[in-house]
Parts: sequence; C-alpha cells; structure tokens
Amino acid sequence: MIWLWLGGLIRERQGRLVGMMTGIALSVALLAALGAFLTQSAASMTHRAIGSVPVDWQVQIAAGASLPDIAKVLAPGVSKQQTVGYADVDGFEAHTGGTVQTTGPGKVLGVDAQYRLDFPEQLRSLVGNLDGVLVAQQTAANLHVGMGDSVQIHRPGLPSAEVKVAGIVDLPNADSLFQAVGVPPGAAPQAPPDNVLLLPLSTWHGLFDPQAVARPDSVRMQLHAGLAHDRLPNDPEAAFVAVQGAARNLEARIAGNGVIADNLAARLDAVRGDALYARVLFLFLSAPGCLLAAFLTIAVAASGGDRRRRDQALLRIRGASRSQIMQLAAVEAGVVGVGGAAIGVGLAALISSMLLQTTIFAGSAAVWVAGAALAGVLLAQAAILITAWRNLTLTTVKDARMALGQERARLWQRVGLDFICLGLSAIVFWRTWSTGYQVVLAPEGTPSSSVDYIAFLAPVLLWLGAGLLTTRLCLIGLGLGRDQLARVLRPLAGPLAGIVAAAISRQRRRITQGIALVALGFAFATSTAIFNTTYHAQTLVDAALTNGADVTVTGTAQAPASAALQTLRALPGVMAAQPMQHRFAYVGNDLQDLYGIDARHIGEATRMSDAYFAGGDATRTLALLARTPDGVLVSEETAKDFQLQLGDALNLRLQNARDHQYHSILFHYIGIAREFPTAPHDSFLVANAAYVSEQTGAAGAEIVLLQTSAAPARVAVAAKLATAAWPGIKVTDIGQAQHLIGSSLTAIDLGGLARLELGFAVLMVAGATGLILALGLADRRRTFAILSALGAKPRQLGVFLWSEALLLFIVGALVGMLTGFGLAWMLVKLLTGVFDPPPELISVPWFYLLALIGVALLSVVAAVIGALRETGVPAVQRMREI
Amino acid sequence: MDASLMADALIQATDVGRAYRQGSATVAAVVEATFQLQPKDRMALMGRSGSGKSTLLHLMAGLDRPDSGSLLWPALGAAESLLPAKIALVFQAPSLLEPLTVAENVALPLLMSGAVVDTDAAVTAALATFGLTHLADKLPETLSGGQMQCVAMARAIVGQPQLILADEPTGQLDRVTGQALLDALLQHLAGTETALVIATHDPAVAERMTMIWRMDHGRLLADGQREVVA
Ligand SMILES: Nc1ncnc2c1ncn2[C@@H]1O[C@H](COP(=O)(O)OP(=O)(O)O)[C@@H](O)[C@H]1O
Ligand SMILES: [Mg+2]
Repeated sequence: MIWLWLGGLIRERQGRLVGMMTGIALSVALLAALGAFLTQSAASMTHRAIGSVPVDWQVQIAAGASLPDIAKVLAPGVSKQQTVGYADVDGFEAHTGGTVQTTGPGKVLGVDAQYRLDFPEQLRSLVGNLDGVLVAQQTAANLHVGMGDSVQIHRPGLPSAEVKVAGIVDLPNADSLFQAVGVPPGAAPQAPPDNVLLLPLSTWHGLFDPQAVARPDSVRMQLHAGLAHDRLPNDPEAAFVAVQGAARNLEARIAGNGVIADNLAARLDAVRGDALYARVLFLFLSAPGCLLAAFLTIAVAASGGDRRRRDQALLRIRGASRSQIMQLAAVEAGVVGVGGAAIGVGLAALISSMLLQTTIFAGSAAVWVAGAALAGVLLAQAAILITAWRNLTLTTVKDARMALGQERARLWQRVGLDFICLGLSAIVFWRTWSTGYQVVLAPEGTPSSSVDYIAFLAPVLLWLGAGLLTTRLCLIGLGLGRDQLARVLRPLAGPLAGIVAAAISRQRRRITQGIALVALGFAFATSTAIFNTTYHAQTLVDAALTNGADVTVTGTAQAPASAALQTLRALPGVMAAQPMQHRFAYVGNDLQDLYGIDARHIGEATRMSDAYFAGGDATRTLALLARTPDGVLVSEETAKDFQLQLGDALNLRLQNARDHQYHSILFHYIGIAREFPTAPHDSFLVANAAYVSEQTGAAGAEIVLLQTSAAPARVAVAAKLATAAWPGIKVTDIGQAQHLIGSSLTAIDLGGLARLELGFAVLMVAGATGLILALGLADRRRTFAILSALGAKPRQLGVFLWSEALLLFIVGALVGMLTGFGLAWMLVKLLTGVFDPPPELISVPWFYLLALIGVALLSVVAAVIGALRETGVPAVQRMREI
Repeated sequence: MDASLMADALIQATDVGRAYRQGSATVAAVVEATFQLQPKDRMALMGRSGSGKSTLLHLMAGLDRPDSGSLLWPALGAAESLLPAKIALVFQAPSLLEPLTVAENVALPLLMSGAVVDTDAAVTAALATFGLTHLADKLPETLSGGQMQCVAMARAIVGQPQLILADEPTGQLDRVTGQALLDALLQHLAGTETALVIATHDPAVAERMTMIWRMDHGRLLADGQREVVA
C-alpha cells in the first residue's frame, strides 16, 4: 500500500513534491553553509589572532627566586621558552666622527642566539648580523653608530662598560617586549624605551650580574614562552578560557616566585567579543532566510488542498482509516524531508567549497550540518502532517466553504498578534537603545561574556509583525477597497475590471498570504543587502582609520616621513599628500599619542568623518582647531578624568628636540576626538602641527598620508621605492590594513558569505513570488478552464492572471522593501558594536535592489506565462478534468 | 438543398470527424457527421453516455476543432468569433466561477464580448426568466446543483446569442424542475431567431424539441422527423 501510494505520489504530484523538497533543501543548505562558515571563521579568527602574538607568555621572575626552577615548572606546559635579561642603565655614549653623543636612560637586554629562532617576530635585522651586540635602530640613530663602532654603557653604581656593535635591529613589538609585568591592567601604558641595546645572554650576565647585586631593582629576568597553538580550542572564547586557566595554574604552582604577562590571553580576549558578534550576525542574517524557506515549504505543502482532499476521500472509500492516511502522509513527509535534506547538504557542500572556501565536513561544522539536516526532516514532517490533518478534518462542505469570502478572522487577528509583535519589537529595541546598544559584553580580562540575544528579537519581531500587519491591512483593504481596486485595474482589465476586482476581493485570504510571503522575502533580501553593503563600506572606513589613509608612509622622529613629502606628492596616482606628526605627550602621568596636523588640509589626504568628533561635525571642529593655534582635542576619557571644560588651559609635556627632555607646553582644550586616522582606540590628542613644531623645535612630521587615484597597493609599491633611501620608513596601504586587523570582526572576509546570502535572498524572492503565484494559479486551473470555455480570449484570461500577479508583486515588493529598510536600519543600530566607528548612514545597494526587482518580475512573468500557456491547451480538455 | 438555405445556415457540417488518443488507442468520438442547423431550430441530441454528444456540441461551438471534414458557420462567421456573443454553451459539468456571485457569473458573457448594453438590466432580466432573482448576490458554493444549472442557463441567454448549445442541462434536476427550466427557456426563445440544441438522454426533454438526432458510437443517425410541440 505504501509503495503503491508513493509510486502514485511521484507520478501524479511531482510538482508539489519537488517544490517542497526544494524549500527544504534551501533551508538546510543555508543553515549548514552559514554554520560551517561561522565555525570556520571563528577558528580562523583565533588562528589569526594568536598567530600575531610574538611571545605568548612573559614570566617575570621575582627577586630572589630561582630561574631554573621556574623554567622546570614551566617546561611541560609550553612548546618553547627562552631566558631574557632586562637591565636599566643610566645611558649610552658613543664617539664617532669626532663628536660625542650621549643618550638618556636606556635598557640593555640579554638574549640567547636561539631566541630569535624561537621568536622570530621579535627582532628584525636592519644592518649587519644578528650575532653579537645589537643596537635598536632609534638608539643607533641617536648615537650615530653603525657596525663596528663602540658604545659605552653607563651602568648605575658600576663603572661603564664598552661593547662593539655587530648589527642594527628593529624591535617591532617593543610595546609588549618592554611591558611592565605584574602591574594591574588598565594602568597607564608605558612608552617603550628610546634607547635599547641587546647583548648575547652570556655577555649580559657578565656585565649585569654585578649590577644586580649592587642595584637589584634595576635588573630583572624573564622567561619568554610559546604555547603549542595547534592544541588550543578553535573558538576564541574557549581558547581564552584555556590559556587563562593554564596561566593561573602556572602562577599557582610557582607560588609567588613569578608573575605572568599573558599576552596570548590578552589577544584572545580582544577577539572574543568579535567572535560573539560573528555568531550573532550569523543568527541574524540566516534566521529570517531559514524561516522564509520554511514558510515557503509550508505554502507548497498547503497548496493543492483540493486534490489532497480528493485523494483522501478516495483512500477512505477504499477503507483506509484516518491513522492510515496520516501514516501515508508521514511517509510522504519522510521522503520529502530526507530527500530535501540530502540535496540541501550537497548544496551546502558545494556552496561552502565554491563561495566560502570551507568544508562543511570538518569537525565542529559537521554539527551544524547534522542539525540543519535534522531541522529539514522535521520541517517536512510538520508541514505535510499538519496540512494532511487539516484536510482530513475539514472535509465537510461547510468547512470547505470557509476557503472563500466572509470567513471569520483568524485567532492571530483577533488577539492582534501583529500589533503585539511590533510593540514588543519597539520595546526590545528601546531597551537595547537605552543601554547604548551593548549587545555583546565581553569584559576585558574576565573569562565571562554574554550576548544579549533578546536584543535580536527586535528585528525578528519587526519582520514577523510587519508580515502579519501587511496581511491584516491587505485583508481589510481588499475587502473594503473593491471599487478602488476596480478603478485601478480599469486600464488593464477594461470592462472586466469590476469582476476581476470582485474575484480578487473574495479570494483575498489566499492573495494576501501570497503578498505577505513576497513581502517577507523582499524584506529579508533588502535588509540583508543593505546590511552587507553598509558593513562592507564600514570595513573600508575601519581600514582607512586603522591605516590612516589609502597609503600611509610612516617614519620616525629621527627620520620623519615628511622629508620625503615632495617626492611622495609627485608620485603618479597620488592625489594628495599631507604630513601628520605622531609624538607622545604626558597628560599628567598618562603618556598619550599626540597627532600634530594641518587642520585646514588634513582632509585632503584622508577622510575626516563626522563620527570622529564629539558634536558630530568634522568641518566645524577642524575649523575651530585651525583658528586656535594652541588648541587641542582630547579623548572623552581624558576630558572626564581631568574634568576639563571647553577653553580650559591644559599643560602637556612633550619631548624637546634639543635636549630630549619632556617640557611642559600650554595648550587649550577645545573639543573631543573619538577616533582619528592611525590613532589608538583609547586615549590620544590632536593638535596643530605648526604649534607643536614651534614648541618642540622639531618640525618634521613622522607620518605622511596619501590619497590615491590609482590602486593603493600600486601606489604603495611606488612609495616604497621612492623612500628606500630613508632608513626606517614604512609604507602601508589600506588593503594590507584590512587583512591586518586580525582580531576585528570586520576583518573576516565576508565576501563569500555576502554573495551566498544575497544569492539566497534572490532565490527566496524569486521563489516566493513565482512559486506562490504559480501554485495559486495552478489551484485555480478550473476557473481559467471555465473562462476560456466560455469564450474568454487569451487577452481576457491574461487580465485575470496579470491583475492578480501584479497586485501580489507590487504590493509585496513595496511593503517588503520598506520593511527591509527599517530592518536594515535596526540591524545597523543593534550591531553598532561591530562597527568601529559606527556608520553615519546606511549604504543602499541600489543596483542589487534593482536586480532583485528584476528577478522577481521575471519570475512573475514566467509564472503568468506558464499559466497562460496551460490555458492554451484546448479548453474542452480541461472542462473534462474539472 | 437550396442555396439560400445554405447561406442562412447557422452551421453547415460535412463529414466532420473528431478522434481522441487514449493512451495508445484512438477513440473516434465523432464520425463523419453531416448536418445543417438553421435559425429557430429546436434540436434534441440523444445518445448513451460516451456516444459523442458533448464532443459534437463542443465542435459546434467552435471550442474544439474537427480532425476531418468541413465545419462552417455561414451565418455567424469564423470559429474563433463564436463564443460568447453568437453562440452560448451550457456545460454538462458545473461551470460557475466560485469567487463570483450569481449575478456576476451571469454578466460574464456580456463583459467578455464587450457588448454595449445595459449589463445590469440584461442580467436582471435573464435571472428573472428562470426565477433566480433572489439568488443574484449569492456565491455559487451556497447553491444546489440544480440552481447552478439554472444560473448557467441564465448565463447562456443573457447575451441573446443566435445559437444555444446545452449539454444535458437537466441532468442534475428532477423531472418537474427540469421541465420548468425547459418551459422557461422555450418561452424565452419563442418568437426569436435563436436556435437551440440540447444534448440529453431524457426522452421527456427530447420530446419538447422539433427535431431529434440520435448518436451512437460517434455516428449521427439523423431521425429527421419534425414533431410539432404543443
Ligand atoms: N479529451 C478527451 N480525451 C480522450 N477521450 C475523449 C476526450 N473527450 C471525449 N473522449 C472520448 O470520446 C468519446 C465521446 O465522449 P463524449 O463526447 O463526452 O460523449 P457523451 O457526451 O455522449 O457522453 C468517449 O469515448 C470519450 O471517452
Ligand atoms: Mg457528455
């Protein structure tokens, strides 16, 4: 019986089976592909983040503790470790070219030859070799020394020692290398020392073991350790917890004999929030798509109710019981579900490897795939069993009559579910708004994190509520507005307008369901597209902010990039070049980055976004700065900490070029800067370059920002060649920055994901419009058969078809797109935390939206033409079928 | 057969045949039918189920095309122009449009042919003819099968066609109601030029016509006998 039934189904009801399988396959594919992408991107986030940590742990040995003992405790937990000696000295001195140069206080490091093999990112050789005594580049410049020159080290409390320079190096990670280990997090950042010398560890011991005895506070030992990264969990959160746990454990075992600077955990900590955002983003962008696919599946299952009723009646005549009929439906659902899920998984595998460059069969992604497949199977069961049951119980004539016209309102209409959804959406959104959109909380340093998933009910409820409200309004509108509809249809339908309007009005429930589905599809596609475009635009802003400009040329105080300003300006593809000073200034005891700019012209080389400044007006703020020579913009935090009022005098200490000492300089506080090109995210200062030059006696600008008309990467290469003569000048372009912001969510390549979602959205919209229309028309074959048998000309049949199709399409697309704009706005607001800085405006992908309308229109045309063609079969034939 | 009669004929059929494929077999539904239909004719088409009555009516309405022979409408024009203005067809199966009211259903032929008449008045008159005035605003789903047949008949006369083809119009009705429907129809047509063909297997219906054609396995066995209705 079951096989017979299945065979019959496959022969007779192909269309519906294929439709349902397609719906399920699409849901499964979207869910599985996005899930795989999510897990994979979390893993790549983790890997990228920890890959850029040069030294995972720096264990500072407490005074009097035994380094070898601690090394022994450390050994089993790490994959590599090195001893590093740190000694503070009073200064360095060199005699070269007949002059004597001395520096202020400095540091001397002792490292083994093996160190640079274990931690290759720590030392970069500029001149000479890496064995022997190495001088940091800036120190070499201060001392005017090169390879083979001698440098005297002024040891506190001991006679000076002399060493011979073997090479000059750059210390790319000076910040973490010289960090103060053991100070509470959040303490003022320490500027890395200006003067650094590196000695082979044995030499260092020879020079500084005596100093350790004389001045124990000036000498420290550290163990630098690397962990086996491949053994860490893929998820940033889990990896963070694991690393932090291991560090705690170690600290407990060495019991006060050392303090750990956990660079790895700190890095993971920063990524954690982003990974959570990624999860949330995924939830958001995929949930409506999956729901939509589910709705479509249900719509397909529900269509053809007449036929199903007839099938069921036949089965019952042959003696099948209700439960047998339901069993048959379950078998049908099983075939559809398993088939759809299998196709969906195949599709997901294809999509993943083609668009997302991932595989869905790896580790944690497999969980998503299995979950998605299961959801597909369950969806099929639900959709088919529910409609079968309804058909079975609604077989009386009276119930069947409910299908038309004046039936009473559904439960959701009576309780006002649409208004409830919209109201709740507003409340949830307001709640999140009032907390400043803190959707993801991953407090730094603590292993706890939370995502305010409730916040995301706001757009989901808005989406559903808008769909239901559309349904309600269309029902009312089509019920009451029949005459108006007839008037609108008159140009198309001529004398038939009244009849067509009447027919549409009486079938408003079916048509409205179609409109709602089309609207939901358009809303999903529109909001996804707008969000993706805004997101993409914002990654560019983020990258520009991080890099400074299209191309940024960074020098040092000794070799300022502004020396090459004219050369750079003259490069082909350079539209504008502007110098920008990057100095350091003490605000009280707090050392902050200070940017000296030409407020009138900086905007020519890099975008001055309104979001960078409190008050949200870049032009006004910069004009004010230009008018106030000693004006300074400070961060919000600084203004609060020092209780600054606009116009207040503010004394900053800056290093003077003549004596290398920090001197107090008077500034006036004129405003707040939140972000600035190349600036760190916390505290920094912006002032007039002219004033800074005048007060510090150093006119050079460390940075030159380039705005390009050609591809930034190409201009960067030219700039590199042009500045090769200046040592220590670095050139970066915006593309590099996009890849480098390793931790940031915006750095995940969402290109494939966006393509997947947008492609899926198009499919959904085309499916929703075309399929719904085609199914609706197929259900009314009888109507069209009668019409043509009565002598309706193809044009007149077309009137009936087109009126309905265009109504469905126009109202659905219009309402859907409007809702989509609202949704996109809400999403961008809710995900403010993803953006850095938040976008000023949503970016609208007009081209995509036009294409979307085009594709939907095509599917409408296809559905109508298909239906028209069917009416071309001699009407008599169909009169017999009905 | 005289030439003027031929030119005035509503239908001129010569050796008309129509066959259907049923799987691999071919069923001849109408075989070599030769006949003529004049204005004012009252024709009964009798035969068992499957004898080809419906097929012949559809051919006569221009809704279906013959496979062989020639089928012409000398007084009416080309096959495509017949429905719904010149010929009205009443189907054997229920054929009301569900989303439209009775009045709207009846108005359809007028609206589709673009006739310049007072649609409302014509519809009211047609409904009155069959005593259906009280059903004007009802939806088909609330009607009985017999009422639906009556509405379909009203829809056939509303455009004042020159030929009405009715396929077992009383099939759904009891004898009394069937006769009443027929009475109303014949009374309405009395004095008009309109010809009427009714396919039926009810001799009581056939008796009311002036001529009876019998069909058997697709062959038309013209009885040729004109009976005058009392
Ligand atoms: N569309 C069709 N396809 C196949 N066979 C048909 C079709 N229409 C009619 N027939 C066949 O033609 C014959 C005549 O049918 P019909 O004209 O409906 O007879 P009647 O109306 O007298 O019952 C029957 O054998 C029927 O099966
Ligand atoms: Mg028949």
